[in-house]
Amino acid sequence: MMSPKVIIVSSDSEKFPVEQKIAEKSILIKNMINDLNPDGLTEDFEIPTPNVRANVLSKVLEWCEHHKNTVFQDDEDEDAKKSVPVEEWDRNFLKVDQEMLYEIILAANYLNIKPLLDSGCKMVAEMIKSKSPEELRKTFNIVNDFSPEEEAAIRKENEWAEDR
Amino acid sequence: MSATLPAFTDLNATWTFIQPGLEFILGAQNDQGVTSTMYMNCYTAVYNYCVNKSRRGSTPQSIAQNSDNNSYSLAGAEIYQKLNVYLSQYIQHLKKLSTESFLEFYVRKWTRFTIGAVYMNNIFDYMNRYWVQKERSDGRKDVFDVNTLSLIKWRDEMFNPNCEVLIEQILNLIEKQRNNLIVDTNLISSSIKSLVYLSIDPQDLKKPNLIIYVNSFEKPFLKATMDYYSRESSEFLLNHNVVDYMKKCETRLAEEISRSNNYLEEHTKKPLLDVLNGALIEKHANEMYDQFLQLLEQNQIGHIQRMYKLLSRVPKTLDPLADTLENYIKKEAKIALDAIKKQTMTNIEDDNKKKGNGTVEPKVYVNTLISIYNQFNDIVIKAFNKDTKFIRSLDNACRYFVNNNSIATPKPRSPSKTPELLAKYADGFLKSSVKETDSIDMNADNLMVVFKFINDKDTFEEHYRRSLAKRLINGTCKSDELEESVIHRLQEENSIEYTSKMTKMFSDMKASEDLKLKIKQQSSNSTIVKDFNPLVLAQSMWPFRHVADYDLKVAEELQEPIEKLKQVYIEQHSGRQLQWLWNHGRAELKANLSRKGKPPFSFTVSNIQLMILIAFNKQKSYSSKELHEIVGTKKETFEAHLLPFTKFKLIETSTNEINDDTIFTIVDEYKSKKLKVSFISAIKSNESKIEEDEATKEIDEARKTYLQACIVRIMKSRKQMKNSELINEVMPLTLSRFKAKVIDIKRVIDLLIEKEYLKRLDDNTFEYIS
Repeated sequence: MMSPKVIIVSSDSEKFPVEQKIAEKSILIKNMINDLNPDGLTEDFEIPTPNVRANVLSKVLEWCEHHKNTVFQDDEDEDAKKSVPVEEWDRNFLKVDQEMLYEIILAANYLNIKPLLDSGCKMVAEMIKSKSPEELRKTFNIVNDFSPEEEAAIRKENEWAEDR
Repeated sequence: MSATLPAFTDLNATWTFIQPGLEFILGAQNDQGVTSTMYMNCYTAVYNYCVNKSRRGSTPQSIAQNSDNNSYSLAGAEIYQKLNVYLSQYIQHLKKLSTESFLEFYVRKWTRFTIGAVYMNNIFDYMNRYWVQKERSDGRKDVFDVNTLSLIKWRDEMFNPNCEVLIEQILNLIEKQRNNLIVDTNLISSSIKSLVYLSIDPQDLKKPNLIIYVNSFEKPFLKATMDYYSRESSEFLLNHNVVDYMKKCETRLAEEISRSNNYLEEHTKKPLLDVLNGALIEKHANEMYDQFLQLLEQNQIGHIQRMYKLLSRVPKTLDPLADTLENYIKKEAKIALDAIKKQTMTNIEDDNKKKGNGTVEPKVYVNTLISIYNQFNDIVIKAFNKDTKFIRSLDNACRYFVNNNSIATPKPRSPSKTPELLAKYADGFLKSSVKETDSIDMNADNLMVVFKFINDKDTFEEHYRRSLAKRLINGTCKSDELEESVIHRLQEENSIEYTSKMTKMFSDMKASEDLKLKIKQQSSNSTIVKDFNPLVLAQSMWPFRHVADYDLKVAEELQEPIEKLKQVYIEQHSGRQLQWLWNHGRAELKANLSRKGKPPFSFTVSNIQLMILIAFNKQKSYSSKELHEIVGTKKETFEAHLLPFTKFKLIETSTNEINDDTIFTIVDEYKSKKLKVSFISAIKSNESKIEEDEATKEIDEARKTYLQACIVRIMKSRKQMKNSELINEVMPLTLSRFKAKVIDIKRVIDLLIEKEYLKRLDDNTFEYIS
């Protein structure tokens, strides 16, 4: 007998049937399945995700599929986790346009998929790292709204942090 | 529920959107169940509100304050507050049905509420994850995750106002169950479990804390238990006997243990057992003690075991039981031993002519000791589970009755006869002359049991060694292996030192055997001595002394082997002195005094008798004086050894009264039905009496020497000591050999002062003189 599937429905009503194990990479989904089916799933179970569009959901589920057997350490030591670089597969997986990257991060936060959220955030952090204000403005498409006087004042205030 | 999500900026709209979902989740409105859409919509609404509010600042003030630098703060406080108020109102409005008790209502609602609380916790997961965690890590210990918040609301709105009635109803139900009524056990277990969940430590939510459980429930529960069983046990004992009461206790204890496994926290188990043990056992220990003697008399092992197991739950209650056992064993032993003593006396009266001399046979005596020991050892094993307390009682009692009883100490202060009787017992199964049927129930195991308990181990050693010496020189050991194994066991039980003399005796025997072979090789064939068995015995090891009364003149015909022996022995061990113990040893000789055609007689005689008979090879008659001069020895000794010959008509006398001039003539033809005749047993002597005195003297001497050595050793290291201290130190040192009396120690101290080892400083203190 086929084990029952979890059918995740995107905000734009597209249905994604997946194995329960894959869907449960989302702690939100895992908790809900448990709460509503205390004796386990006996038939296919539909779950709407009103905040996630189909194109993002399919990306997120691709990640879940890939990591379905990965055991993520649920450790308390946040600092140690912060310094670990993004693993190769995740890095390639997240080489998407900025818009999509942000959407994935938001979806991971919403669905409570901590390892994906961590990888996404680290990718953004790498984009910021070692860049001058000008480069950052370019990367993140930010208009410089400081007047030259304001900019000089800020520079003076933060002089101590300059890398000489 | 509408699928259209509310505007995320609007708190009231958001709350209005999720509240109906919460109603479903908490089971209001007939508990219709929750759909995944409802679930996800509620989660999403909370998520949207928190995320988007956060992006814009959580409060209008913060927007105003932080508008300049676009600062970011987490949202949640307001929706948390809404939930807080909602939960209070929800719980306050729960209604008890008129058909149910408060406890039934409480458990029914609690069961549903806690399921809902877990759902809600997940619905508000986003708020838990960010806002609650932030608040708590910022030190707000009055903010909780939603599940904990729900429990706290339940505690404040449901439990606290109704605590008394709830606990009372739980305790009532437990009492009903104790009264064997059928009750809904789920009501008990769920309500008690709820108290555990409600025991929350606001500082550390992960740390288990039983404060509500312990204060509200455990304390009154223990008191109710104490009251219940105090009442029940006293009433039960009014109408039932102690054995039934013990069975009742077993049942009650089993019930309570199973109840505590089912409903109670680990924390309660120990105090509950204390209460039960106090009310059921400790309070009624006296009634059990009263019954104990009866159970012993009836040998009710099963019930005794039952009593032991109950009392062992409160270890100190076992002490009086152990004392009672000890006294009972002493009493039973006295009865048994008095009985065999009386039996022996009666036998003597019945049959006055029999040889019985008024003492109990060692075998009967030791077997009686053993059977008492076995009887109670069996009880200690079966009923008291080999508890060391009761082994000690048995040991104490045995040590007492083995050493002190009407047979061992007919007079209160005399030294115990048990060591001597035990040595005789050992002789009884080690001597080859005893019939197999008589020694069948005697063995080394029994010997060792009694040996363990005797105080005067040195007295036993002395007597045992004496009888061993006789077995060795008379060749009456049943088996060398058996002898050695007994000595080995004595050594293991006591010390190597203890058996050193006996071990030396065995090696003397072996050396003598070698010596005998050497002499035989070197002897000529011309001598009339066919066989010669010399035994060379080290003087202080063997219990024999040279007695001048027996010094005899060796007949010329017998000189050769004796000279050979001296020669060979001195060659091996120059400087050693040999002394002849003529009073020991015996000779066998052939006497050609038979009728013609009959084989010669074989006579067994003492050494002195041997010399007398050899003389008659030269001439047929001697005057008494002549014969005595030939033989040597003291006159009385000579006469005592001569007497059996005249009595058994081997030698005829010229006068009825024997004097110096009496003529002794050997018969030509000896008349006896037996070919083998022993003339030894008819020799009159007081040797056994002398020997007993000697043994006593030797023991006394050995004790004095031992005490002197102990005292000198102690004083040498301590230099100065008070009288009482010294005595206290000496006493335990002697225990493996004997129980020293204070008066003996004092005498030895005086002796040492005389010998100038010690000096008296004042009345009470001694000093060592180096």
